[in-house]
Amino acid sequence: MSVCRPARCLFSKATSTALPKPCPQRSFHASAPRPARKKRPHYPSIKADDLKLLNQAAEAEYPKFDTAEITLLEKKYTPSQIAAIKAAESTIDARDVLTQGQRRTDPWLLNYEDDLAQVDPVTDHPEKLGPDDIPGKKTFRLANDVERDEAISRIATENLAKMYPEGLPEGQLDPVDEQKLQDAMEAALSQAALDPRATYTSSNPAALEALADPRHSIVAPDLPRVENRMARQTRRLSTEEEEDPRQKRLLQYLGWDKQKLRTVRVKTLVTHSVTNQTRMGKIRSLYFLTIAGNQDGLLGVGEGKSVEPEEGRKQSVMSAIRNMRPVPRYENRTTFGDLEKKVGATKVQLFSRPPGFGLRVQHLIFELARAAGLQDLSAKTPRSRNKMNVIKATWEALTNQKLPDEIARARGKKLVDVRKVYYGGSIH
Amino acid sequence: MSLVNLAHVCSHLQNASKARLGLTSIPVSKMHVNIALGLQREGFLSSVTLGGSAPPRPFLLQAQADPEQFEKMAETLKVEPWHAYPTEAPTKGKSNTELALGKEQVHEVHVPENPARRRLWLGLKYWQNEPVLKNMKLVSKPTRRIWLTSEDLGRITRTRESSYVKGLTHPGECMFLTTDRGILEARECVERRLGGMALCRVW
Repeated sequence: MSVCRPARCLFSKATSTALPKPCPQRSFHASAPRPARKKRPHYPSIKADDLKLLNQAAEAEYPKFDTAEITLLEKKYTPSQIAAIKAAESTIDARDVLTQGQRRTDPWLLNYEDDLAQVDPVTDHPEKLGPDDIPGKKTFRLANDVERDEAISRIATENLAKMYPEGLPEGQLDPVDEQKLQDAMEAALSQAALDPRATYTSSNPAALEALADPRHSIVAPDLPRVENRMARQTRRLSTEEEEDPRQKRLLQYLGWDKQKLRTVRVKTLVTHSVTNQTRMGKIRSLYFLTIAGNQDGLLGVGEGKSVEPEEGRKQSVMSAIRNMRPVPRYENRTTFGDLEKKVGATKVQLFSRPPGFGLRVQHLIFELARAAGLQDLSAKTPRSRNKMNVIKATWEALTNQKLPDEIARARGKKLVDVRKVYYGGSIH
Repeated sequence: MSLVNLAHVCSHLQNASKARLGLTSIPVSKMHVNIALGLQREGFLSSVTLGGSAPPRPFLLQAQADPEQFEKMAETLKVEPWHAYPTEAPTKGKSNTELALGKEQVHEVHVPENPARRRLWLGLKYWQNEPVLKNMKLVSKPTRRIWLTSEDLGRITRTRESSYVKGLTHPGECMFLTTDRGILEARECVERRLGGMALCRVW
């Protein structure tokens, strides 16, 4: 056996003739087999007329460098570089770019259109400069009066130049332009007076410039105002805010402003549907019971009922705020003695407790006590625990407390509060 | 000493104040009188009068002194206010006060000879459309008396429970006890360091 033989086997290419022919298979489907199908290009075939249009579009979209641009490029690049640029340009057919330049479909594509040529203050990190970017010494000192005036006049001129890039208007001006010029000068001067470059001075001009450069500031620049239809529609000034007529009436009734109304804590504690049986059928509506309190001795309970859920809730909230009544509190934390109130089959017993005891009460009474600003309380509901009645009984017990002063007055006794006498009156 | 009658008095006073009565009567006994006087001292009652089955005549319907005499009396008191408190012993049957201010007007109340026909008339008080005495309950029961020491009372008056008696937690609550020094209020007992049998609590 020759040594060459296996090598020949290895190096020799397996030709189609060497391979056994695949036995003709019966096709199981009606369509032509894959090799038999005509191979289509990835891009659609274009008619000659369309191609002409396409050429025009490509010319417009990707123009060739004209002579003026070439002269500009010559300032920056060597002739050999320009030749390379031209060669690169010529290799890319603009039509290919136009027809085959495909949009990204990968998962990391941006969800907005951007050629990423500019820094977008919304999506991109602002450009930042650190102390290393300032060449030279970084020392400052307070400017004296002469230096300051000089700096102000210089900065004001710069600012004014920014506002009037074509130079200040000359000659006789009409009153509107005159006024505009005056305002611009005033603005430029006041900006210059506030500029840190006017207050400080430095031997290093780069350091001085860094003071006014927003890129050196640690304060992030303001977000730009988004200008689109959606933003315009949703944006509202406080004066344009839609006035709820019911809220307006409530504010008039209370003599409050909106700011004060916002401090009221409101919570809907009971919601259920009720039905009114009429001869036409059942009318279902929703019932709401809401409490309102300012957490400083005012507490109200309101009910509302309506077919519309939102309407009923609003009704109950308004009536709860309107029904707010003062809750007398001992040392601003607990009740004056034990209270008891019965509403229907519900009895609520409230017990005053020492400081630091907390609100060890059931959830409904807890909400009421928190809204009223009570901190130490315990309670019992020995009989029925109907939610609505528990809330009403608690509210009435809290608001109808008998105060020690009144009891003393009724009994014809003299009452003296000695709590403020001891410990330097440090107990409230 | 039965507490049954006191229980009746307690519920009667509650009912009378619920009915907004101005005047009501209870049977007379030494304990009732002392409790009524205690209640008056604490300001729960406006008047305590011993009378018969008919209520005593109201003050305004009784014979009044001359307005001129009242004026004279007021002027005298303005100059010499000490006459309001008769201290000196009477001379020749008349005290100095009587000489200065004139004869004191005493309203006669008819008290029946028969003790069984006597009643104790109590004036109830109301303030801002609310009765002053709203609740009155027995502490000791006829079948279960409770005696309290002064230490117990100290705890009870500071709203803590002691000896199975709940503390005085309602605002302005009072408890009356019968002690060897008479019927006293709980706080007075604490002050005097006395113990006794608890009778009733009022608020």
